Amino acid sequence: MAEQLTAIFYDGKSSVPRTVHLYFDKQKGILSFQTENQEQLWEIKSVTLTSNKNSITLQHGKALFQQLVIDDPELIVAIESSKRAATTNLYQRLINYGFPLHALVALLILGLIVLSYLYVVPWIGEKSVALIPEEYDNKLGDAFFDQNMMFTSVDTARSKALNQFAQELKLNNTKKLHFTVVTSETVNAFALPNGNIVVYTGILKEMKSYDELVALLGHEVSHVNERHAMKMMCRNLSGYLLISTILGDVNGVMATIGDNINSLQSLSFSRAFEQQADREGFKIVVANKVNPRGVSNLFKRLEDADFAVPEFLSSHPMTKERIRYIDKMIKTESYQILENPKLKSLFKVIK
Amino acid sequence: MEVISPKVRNYQLRFHGTGSAFFSVIIVNWLLTVITLGLYYPWAKANKLKYLYGETSLNDDRFAFHGTGKEMFKGFIKVLILFALIYGLLFLFIYLQMPIIGILVFYCAFLAILPLAIHGAYRYRMSRTSWRGIRFGYRGQRNELFASFFKWLLLTIITFGIYGSWMHVNLRRYVLGNVRFGDIEFEYRGDGGDYFLLNLKGYFLTIITFGIYIFWWQKELFDFYVNNLWLEKDGESIQLNSTVTGGGFFQLAIVNLLIIVFTLGLGYAWAATRTLEYLFDNIILEGNIDLDSINQTEDNFNDATGEDVSDMLDLDFVM
Repeated sequence: MAEQLTAIFYDGKSSVPRTVHLYFDKQKGILSFQTENQEQLWEIKSVTLTSNKNSITLQHGKALFQQLVIDDPELIVAIESSKRAATTNLYQRLINYGFPLHALVALLILGLIVLSYLYVVPWIGEKSVALIPEEYDNKLGDAFFDQNMMFTSVDTARSKALNQFAQELKLNNTKKLHFTVVTSETVNAFALPNGNIVVYTGILKEMKSYDELVALLGHEVSHVNERHAMKMMCRNLSGYLLISTILGDVNGVMATIGDNINSLQSLSFSRAFEQQADREGFKIVVANKVNPRGVSNLFKRLEDADFAVPEFLSSHPMTKERIRYIDKMIKTESYQILENPKLKSLFKVIK
Repeated sequence: MEVISPKVRNYQLRFHGTGSAFFSVIIVNWLLTVITLGLYYPWAKANKLKYLYGETSLNDDRFAFHGTGKEMFKGFIKVLILFALIYGLLFLFIYLQMPIIGILVFYCAFLAILPLAIHGAYRYRMSRTSWRGIRFGYRGQRNELFASFFKWLLLTIITFGIYGSWMHVNLRRYVLGNVRFGDIEFEYRGDGGDYFLLNLKGYFLTIITFGIYIFWWQKELFDFYVNNLWLEKDGESIQLNSTVTGGGFFQLAIVNLLIIVFTLGLGYAWAATRTLEYLFDNIILEGNIDLDSINQTEDNFNDATGEDVSDMLDLDFVM
C-alpha cells in the first residue's frame, strides 16, 4: 500500500521550501519522492524524527542535512508508528515507554537510594573499618592530639592520678590507653582513636562520687574499643560517595539535597554510637563491681548543671531518654557492688 | 518611478519543550549513565542537546543538533590524554624538585587551553547545529583568538581586573562576529564600557536593595546580550530585541525555586523548560532578511575536543 501526499522539502543547500509529492511504502518503511533532478529514497529507520504540534520533521543525511516537513495527520501517524517499530536505539526505545513509566522509575530509584542509604551504606562503612589497620587510628588520634593540645594546660598531678585510677579498672581495652586531665571550665571529656582520653577539670568538679568517674571512663573507653571515630569516617565517606556518584549526574540541586541529608543522617548515626558506648560503658561499670547508679547520676548531674549544655552531651540532646534507658538497665541487669577504697582515695586526688 | 522599500518580515522564535518530555530525557539518560558507570555521558549529552534544539523553532521550523555521542566520546578521550599530560608535567617538575616551575607550567597550560577550548567548542557546536538543513558555522581564527585572549588577559591583570568587562565583551564580539548561519553573518555590537557600568550599577543597587535588584540586573544583562546581536546578509539585516522584565525574572526564579524544593529536585526538568520558554518568548526578531533564501555555506566539522574541554572546565556556552 502506498499513499501519495505533499510535503515540504529542504535540499540541504538552501532554505528554499519546495513542495514534493511523497510516497510512503509502509511494508518496506521507505519514503520516496522526486526532486528536480533525482529520485529520493529515505529509509524510515535512518531518519531522525522530531514531532511538532501539527507536523513532523524528518532529518536525513550526514554530510548534507536534508529535511522533510509533513503535516498530513494520517501520514504522520503511519510514519511515527513505523519509526517506532524500526527503532533499534536503546535510548529511543526507553524514551518511547512514555512519561508515566519514567516517573515511576524515578520514584522507585529514589526509594532504592534511600533504602540502600539507610541499610547498605552503614554496613559498608562498618565492614570497611575492618580493612583499615589500627595503626591508622593511632595516626589520626596523634595528629588531633598534637594540634589541639598545644594551647591547653595539662594538669600533670591529676593526670597521673587518673591513670592510676584507670589502672585499677578492667576496661576491656585492646590497645594501650592514656588519660590526660586538662584544666578548663568546660564540662567535657572526649576519646581519641589512638586511645588518648581527655577529661576536663570542669566535668570532674561536677562529680560527687568515684562511680561517676568510672561511668565516664567506661563510656569514653567504649568509643575507643569500638573504633567509633573510624567507623564514623568510613560511613560518612561511603555515604558521600554514593550520593555524589549516583545523584551527581542528574543535577546539582539533587546532589546538594542529598549532601545535606547525608550530614543529618550522620548525626543520628553518632547517636547510635553514643547509645552503644552507654551500653558498653555500663558493662564495664558492672564488671568492676562499681555502683551503676553512677552512670545515671552522672547524666542527671550534667543535665541539671546550670551551665550551657555540656559538649559531651550536646551531640545527642536526648539525655532524658538515655537516663531512662540506663535506669531500666539498672533494674533488669544483675550486679554486685564492692566498695573499692583505692579508687575512692584516688578520686579525692583527682577531684 | 516606484521606490521599493525593503519589506519588513515576521519572525518568531519559540521553545516548545515540556517538563514531562524533558524529564523523560533526563531520567533515561541518567539510568543509562549509571548502568554504564558514567561512560554513557557523551551520548547523554547528545540526547539532551538533540531534545532541546529540536524543541526550539524559528518560524515554525525546528532547529536540529547533529552531534553524536561517538564524536563527543572521542573528544572526551583526547581531553583525558591532554589533562593527563598536563598533570604528568606537574609531577615531573615536582619530582625534579622544581615545584614552583611545575605549578607555573600547570596554570599556564590551563590558561592556554581556555581560548583553544572556546574556539574548538564553537566550531563543533555551530557546525552541528542546523535549521532547514542549513548549517551554522564558526569562522574565527584559532591563532588570532589565542593572541587576542592573552593580550586582553594581560590588560585585565595590569588594570587590576577593570579591563575584565572589556575583555568579556571583546571575546563575545569576536566569537559571535565569526558565527555564520549559511550566508547570514552574525554581529555583536556591545561595548565594554556599557557592560562595566551596567555591572557597577547592578552590584551597588543589589546591595542597597538587599538583593532584590538582582532580577533587574539580570534583565539588563540579558538585554545587553540580546539587543546588541544583529544578523546580516546582502545589506539586509535582522535585529534581536529582548522584552524580558525584572518582574518576569523574579517570578520565574521564585516559582522555579518552589518547584525544585517541593519535588526534592525531581522538578528540575520543569524549571528548566519554563526558563527556556520564558527566554525564547521574550526575544523578538525584527528586520528584512528573507529566511527562504539562505544558502548553505558552512563546512562540516566533527571534532568535539573543544566541546569536551569546555564541558570539563564548566565554561558556559554563549549561545
